[in-house]
Amino acid sequence: MSGSGIPTWEEVARDHGRFLYTVAYRLTGNSNDAQDLVQEVLLKVRRGLETYRPGSLEGWLSRITTNTFLDETRRQRRRPVDLLPEDPDRVVPPSPGADVALAAEALPDHVQEALRALPEEYRAAVVMCDVVGLSYQEISDSLDVPVGTVRSRIHRGRALLRKTLA
Amino acid sequence: MSRFGTNGGFAGGGHLGDVLSALLDGELPAPQAEGARAHLAACPDCTQELAAVSQARSWVRALPLVDPPFGFYERMLLDHQPALRSATGDRATLRRRAGLAALGAAAAAVTVLGVGSPSPRPVSPSMPRLVEAHATSASVGADLLSKLAPVGVPVSFGR
Repeated sequence: MSGSGIPTWEEVARDHGRFLYTVAYRLTGNSNDAQDLVQEVLLKVRRGLETYRPGSLEGWLSRITTNTFLDETRRQRRRPVDLLPEDPDRVVPPSPGADVALAAEALPDHVQEALRALPEEYRAAVVMCDVVGLSYQEISDSLDVPVGTVRSRIHRGRALLRKTLA
Repeated sequence: MSRFGTNGGFAGGGHLGDVLSALLDGELPAPQAEGARAHLAACPDCTQELAAVSQARSWVRALPLVDPPFGFYERMLLDHQPALRSATGDRATLRRRAGLAALGAAAAAVTVLGVGSPSPRPVSPSMPRLVEAHATSASVGADLLSKLAPVGVPVSFGR
């Protein structure tokens, strides 16, 4: 740790690099965007733009990662060509038929694709809960939304995932 | 906006909805969890929905950690200081710089390993001493030729 209490870039990369990349990959759904997101996060860490709260470093990193991801999503959403449909059901791709039932070895890819198809706010809540392992209160604090909203997003996200992968 | 009565019983009159995920995640206080379980015992729809979201929850939780591309963080480290100084915020530029930095690092490595070492480095043990030791050992035996034969090139004379 540096004198300010903010971990150095090297410490984050060495000790939490795989975790950080995993969160970024689960949020963005592809390697290029995940790499870009990780770079953004580490630049924020290095610049000290975020205030580190003593406690779970990975929780802190995931908060920065998720908010950076959502900020970028909102920025893109303001572009007319990138507008997302309001109805979450419309962004869910067709469910695979019974003849393409989930094979055990292909399951992570299918789940990742279904995760990527979720509306970003649902995806962020699900990733923070089920990938990072944060509590509803921690997610609420991180995203600055009420706990009830967190609960709703997580549940709707899971329901859409199940519908996609049924 | 609780859907539970003061005694923890489910008071919504409908289905549990997102209370099911909160139940799965251990996010309900004990009285409300009891109320939800009581509702589940009598509601096939909520039981089915609980199974569905529980399945989705398990799938996501079972996703493995993902390794970043080989050398990703090392390339970023090389590129980090220039990126901070310019602070352009152009992420594509950052990625291109990272690639160039990797090429530069590779070129530097080739230089160090190849062109950068023109004179032979000493080896251990010293070759002259090794030859001398071998000669001493070989001369102890009575028949020098027979000692050399197993490792020598087969030769024949007069044919």
